[in-house]
Amino acid sequence: MTLVNRLRSVAVPFIFGVGFLAFWEGAVKFFHLKPYFLAPPSKILSQFFDNASRIWGAASVSGMNALVGLVAGTVFGVAMSFILSRFRFLSSLITPLAIALNAIPIFVLVAVLNNMYSITSEIPRRIMVSLVVYFIVLVNVAKGLTQVKTTHLEIMHSYAASDIEILRKVRVPNAVPYLFTALKISAPAAVITSFVSEYFGGSQNGLGSRITSNIANSKNAAAWAYVLGACLLGLAFYLVSVVLENVASRGAGATNNTNK
Amino acid sequence: MSAVHVAGVSKIFNQGTPKQVDALVDVNLTVEPGEFVSLIGPSGCGKSTLLRLIANLLEPTTGAVTVNGKTAAQSRLDQDYGMAFQQAGLFDWRSVAKNIELPLELKGWDKEKRAARAQEMLELVKLPEFADLMPWQLSGGMQQRIAIARALAAHPPLLLMDEPFGALDEMTREYMQGELLRICAETKTTVVFVTHSIPEAVYLSNRVVVMSPRPGRITEVVNVSLGANRSEDTRAADNFFSGITAVREALRGTHADHANAGAVRGVEDR
Repeated sequence: MTLVNRLRSVAVPFIFGVGFLAFWEGAVKFFHLKPYFLAPPSKILSQFFDNASRIWGAASVSGMNALVGLVAGTVFGVAMSFILSRFRFLSSLITPLAIALNAIPIFVLVAVLNNMYSITSEIPRRIMVSLVVYFIVLVNVAKGLTQVKTTHLEIMHSYAASDIEILRKVRVPNAVPYLFTALKISAPAAVITSFVSEYFGGSQNGLGSRITSNIANSKNAAAWAYVLGACLLGLAFYLVSVVLENVASRGAGATNNTNK
Repeated sequence: MSAVHVAGVSKIFNQGTPKQVDALVDVNLTVEPGEFVSLIGPSGCGKSTLLRLIANLLEPTTGAVTVNGKTAAQSRLDQDYGMAFQQAGLFDWRSVAKNIELPLELKGWDKEKRAARAQEMLELVKLPEFADLMPWQLSGGMQQRIAIARALAAHPPLLLMDEPFGALDEMTREYMQGELLRICAETKTTVVFVTHSIPEAVYLSNRVVVMSPRPGRITEVVNVSLGANRSEDTRAADNFFSGITAVREALRGTHADHANAGAVRGVEDR
């Protein structure tokens, strides 16, 4: 029964996906769409395998930028959230700013950062990724550190626990799920920011710049092949963050929160 | 030496602002060691505030609170009391045993001693095989029993409880009341117990302290001791019902002073 359900939950999206590709292929053939207008999936796939090593190379450049930025942004975001939760007046200053910055496309800042470093440097892109990640991690982890149940705090106070003990035994464990939520949001955001920041100049070595240059040369199918590579890279980052979350919550023992 | 001594205590929140609330005015209360005292009254009568003053989670505006002959602040630092709330307040990321060990960790006990005491407490609350489960795997009543085990883990002489059975269903609640009496008798713990329920207060207590709101104060203290050997039969006994009537009349009396509604709000009359 459960096996049937599991098969069904995999089969339905799979059949839909295959059907959609078949429809796409059919529509291109039927309407004789020009390849520069819309390439058929078969052509994209063959381009993907023909250019596999180049796509892999470009993906490792973009992926490394995303990874470095993700790690740096997470480290700084966590550090800052500890400072904010310790000094509440700072939190009231910085949290609205962080939320506002989250709402606007700050990745355009990479154009400014590019001017600060040499033309071939990957540093501006990595800084940009870490900025985006930083604010997501900061807002979420700060919330986890401060939004602690009143009963928990009263219990700790009744045991005359110090602020450090409350931090270690209540606030930090409470913030762990918030950190993994932040990672799940920021892992794909890191990849997207890594691609987009390649649109603002610098070395033409990542997936983002390869997509634009192939489109500029009317190599539509090749551009689509790089898009496919970009999708896979984003998916890989997301899957790793989900796996990390599962491992962490199994370690902590509880994702199922019935203890209100 | 009395277990709790509250002398001339007032608590005013937001003093001197338009939002000023006189939560408690001139409260005097003495609890003797081994006694079970309930605080009952309608919402806003300051019973939870009084409990938090005894626990030193709040400071009185005037007056003094003494616990075990020490200031409330000192007895909190010495962990002279354990506390349980309406929400069990177990930590989701700690196993049942680790939850019970928390106060012992904060006292700096070593690992073996903590584990031994946790197992002893689990046997006291009759959940010895639950040590390694996580809190969310337990029912509400079981969680509350673990919370009581945690509150008593360091063997404090005093247990402060704020509506600990308020979120439980009636059957579980009556079972828990019986268990609490047994545990307190075994451990000779003094209890100050905040509740909304008249039968609960009468069944558990040596004395029921009846409070009234606006401003919060003690209006009457009803002696209802039903003896040491309370059982399910006690709930059908005449002196149980006369105790309920006495507390109910005391509550009505507080209400007559504020004749503005039909019934005492916030008190369960069941």
